[in-house]
Amino acid sequence: MDRLIFDVAAVVAVLFAALMVLNRNPVRSVLALVVSFFFLAIGYVLLWAPFIAAIQVIVYAGAILVLFLFVLMLLNVPLEDVAGTEPRPIQQILGGAAILLFTIGLVELLSGYGAKNVTQAGAMDFARGRIGPLARLIYSEYLLPFEALSVLLLAALVGAFVLVEREKRP
Amino acid sequence: MIGSIPLSDVLLASAALFAIGLTGALLRRNAIAIFLSIELMMNAANLALIGYGAALGTPEGQIAVFFVIAIAAAEASVGLAIFVALFRHTETIDVNKVNLLKW
Repeated sequence: MDRLIFDVAAVVAVLFAALMVLNRNPVRSVLALVVSFFFLAIGYVLLWAPFIAAIQVIVYAGAILVLFLFVLMLLNVPLEDVAGTEPRPIQQILGGAAILLFTIGLVELLSGYGAKNVTQAGAMDFARGRIGPLARLIYSEYLLPFEALSVLLLAALVGAFVLVEREKRP
Repeated sequence: MIGSIPLSDVLLASAALFAIGLTGALLRRNAIAIFLSIELMMNAANLALIGYGAALGTPEGQIAVFFVIAIAAAEASVGLAIFVALFRHTETIDVNKVNLLKW
């Protein structure tokens, strides 16, 4: 049952991701990605990561992608014009290499890891969906990266303000 | 109660999402669409991390994802600010038309 729900959520997430790439209207792209991230969050819940699922919805879908939408509406970007855009040789080479890599990776995955089940670790506390052990780990062993992260976010905030500030005419 | 999701399903979904993101980053020419594709690739990596974390029974995977999401927020804010500044200068965010730094 879990597997069925996970597979359906993953397939819908992949479909909406494809919709994101194929859509020429950037606003629709963002909205398709929001839906894709919601279904990914369902997958996270089934993989015993309810905290990550929550911040996926709140931070990713709720904050980051809404920021994208704000910027899109601020800039009023036109549609991408498709006419007269033959792919260049470098694009063809890179695209071919990407598809090749993906195929190789797919074969590797399906041959190697098929037997292993995600649910073998049922004994762990966190595996039952508790976030207490996670928080304890973040605030003890990973305290320094956590605090560095807050400095990074502050720096990004200040940097964004500096970048978009209009130059003052003397 | 305890289900049975094979790790291969998780990794397959992750690989598919990553490939779609890579395709988008190579195909699209709108800078914001390329940025969205990069976000999608990061989410594919997150999914793989959580899958492995659950399969191995360690919380480290979830902690890595936590940090990735926070850094993605910082990256998105700075990247979008760069696009706004770029749009003010050149009136476009088509990456084919922005070639000042291209050799």
